[in-house]
Amino acid sequence: MGSNGKSESSIKNRIRRLRFDHDEMTQQQLADRVGVSRQTIIALEAGKYLPSLPLAFRLAATFGVRIEDVFQMQVPESETSA
Amino acid sequence: MTALQKNAWYNLGVIALTLCTIGVLIPVAGKGALGGFGFLGVLGLGPLFFRKRSGQVVLDERDRSIANLSWNFAFAIFWVVAVMFAALVSASVYGSDGAVPVWIVQSSVFVGMIVIYAMSSIAILVQYGRGAADGQ
Repeated sequence: MGSNGKSESSIKNRIRRLRFDHDEMTQQQLADRVGVSRQTIIALEAGKYLPSLPLAFRLAATFGVRIEDVFQMQVPESETSA
Repeated sequence: MTALQKNAWYNLGVIALTLCTIGVLIPVAGKGALGGFGFLGVLGLGPLFFRKRSGQVVLDERDRSIANLSWNFAFAIFWVVAVMFAALVSASVYGSDGAVPVWIVQSSVFVGMIVIYAMSSIAILVQYGRGAADGQ
């Protein structure tokens, strides 16, 4: 199940970009394809909600890309320099 | 607005109506006004908001996550309130050897229900409120 925890800010996604790259797909169209409400797509794009793994895979499959092309982990500089 | 939000507003509306009814009836009916708690039965119509409609997602994983968190919050508040009244307020008002009137015991069941539904509904609305504004 998804999360509303603090880790959300460290995971970025390109859902909005990918939507526009796919014939300017609307949020409602994407929501219908992956089986969630439009509000959930809005929350995902704003980084307010982390999806479950099945939903993340469905999103990636909808855009025809790998899951890491949709979601990227932002590693803090303090961790990368160590 | 999602079905969960509509249900939350509906719950708060029913609770407000119930409390107003009791408040209006108390001066004329006394303890008989507690019959106004019967309005809470209308909360049972809440599941109608979650009727399945073809081609439409009524409740998705984020909604379920929000609902779960809200129920946990509501029961935590209810527990604190229940313990406070059972262990502290009743003893301080009626004394440790006193007797709590039956109408208070009866009312406490409905007040507990109101606390749980109200806290859960408020938590649902707050969580949606913290979400993103409508985008493109």
